[in-house]
Amino acid sequence: MRPLSLPSRRAAVCAAAFLVCGAAVLHAYVDDAMSFAYEAANPYAEKGWIIREDAWGGDLGEGDKKAVTAQLFRGNSYIFFLGTDVEGAKLRVNIYDTAGNLAESKSWQEGKFAYAEIKPGATGTYYVVVEVLSSPEERTGWALVYGFRR
Amino acid sequence: MLYLGTAPSEISPILKTKALCALAGALLVAGKASAEPPAEKIDLKQFPAETVNEVVVPVPSEVFAVLEKLGNPNWRAELGPAKTFPATADRAQDALLLGTVIADGFIAVEAEDSERVKDIGRNVLTLAEAINVRKSVVARSNSIVEKADARKWDAVRREFDGALQDVNQAMAELNDEQLAQLVSLGGWLRGTEALTSIVDSKYSTQRAELLHQPLLVDYFSRQLSKMSPRLRGKEIVGDIRRSLDRINPLIEKNNGDIRPEAVAEIHTITSEVVGRIRSKAG
Repeated sequence: MRPLSLPSRRAAVCAAAFLVCGAAVLHAYVDDAMSFAYEAANPYAEKGWIIREDAWGGDLGEGDKKAVTAQLFRGNSYIFFLGTDVEGAKLRVNIYDTAGNLAESKSWQEGKFAYAEIKPGATGTYYVVVEVLSSPEERTGWALVYGFRR
Repeated sequence: MLYLGTAPSEISPILKTKALCALAGALLVAGKASAEPPAEKIDLKQFPAETVNEVVVPVPSEVFAVLEKLGNPNWRAELGPAKTFPATADRAQDALLLGTVIADGFIAVEAEDSERVKDIGRNVLTLAEAINVRKSVVARSNSIVEKADARKWDAVRREFDGALQDVNQAMAELNDEQLAQLVSLGGWLRGTEALTSIVDSKYSTQRAELLHQPLLVDYFSRQLSKMSPRLRGKEIVGDIRRSLDRINPLIEKNNGDIRPEAVAEIHTITSEVVGRIRSKAG
């Protein structure tokens, strides 16, 4: 898993093509997954959400989970947008507090996208858990972006 | 049920079996996909360390947004007098400096001071040049100036965020990830200096809670401890490590109940260290 930058993603993917094949494939499908994550976020940007330029991504097998830690502030609202490029894959994203309690106000899935929204009850550390529920592929590329509202 | 084409009785047993298998597979997938609702509670220890090591570092505007709601901070006072920071001969120092200047950019946006935003946008470019990532941020710098002129503040916030990411990406491509971490750290220190100043000037537990960021302090400490001996040996990096060690117990206390004395102390620590970062720059 690695942080990704949107503006440089094409350059990153091109560069990866000259590296080992596996790395190139990972770059490519994480890159595509990121496009979907931003696609999921776009309608929210139009509604006044500030979408961060930073992104995180990787690949997972079916049933696998990964957690990304986040510092969230009480007083803001946040939405995490998860995208994949794998047709037919179902992903899920959920947010837990430091005690491991489900903390999101809602989460849902729409095709290649999954969402989790939270209005933190306290300022502090949260865990954003990404999960591949099912997929026709052995490995499923995913990317996560988030936005907040003032 | 409506049948189209071949009647069921005409379907060969093999095809029937295949169809049933396909249906069973589809149901299995659908069953898994809609599956159970998310667990109400998880054991975070189940996650191997490598899966939770990634940290989302917030931009200053996330915390500034909350401060704005909780009162009417004097953002211009936080900016202080206009000053441009030239590059030093030390890339680590310049990376830290760039982080502090980008954080200033976020403060100037809160102050809605378009002239300062434009000056800062140009200063970002100067410092980016010093660490060999000028090319990556030229467009951002121009866009900051243009959008500040148009007073499109949310757009300027996005450009400063984008500048940070572009610098990170460019440095990663140059195998300079450690310098990129110093940029983030410089931004966090300057943002925290401004935050503590505002909280200190009008204390409330709600405002002070914004300082409850043990994850970030721990994350930056770990990053510093993993840096190359050359970087760790730098005086300014040593200063920052000691500063983070002093801040850590102050913000971890009492589940976010951070007392006024602690806020003042964090402010003193961050002001000192930001001052040191900037001292060589003029």
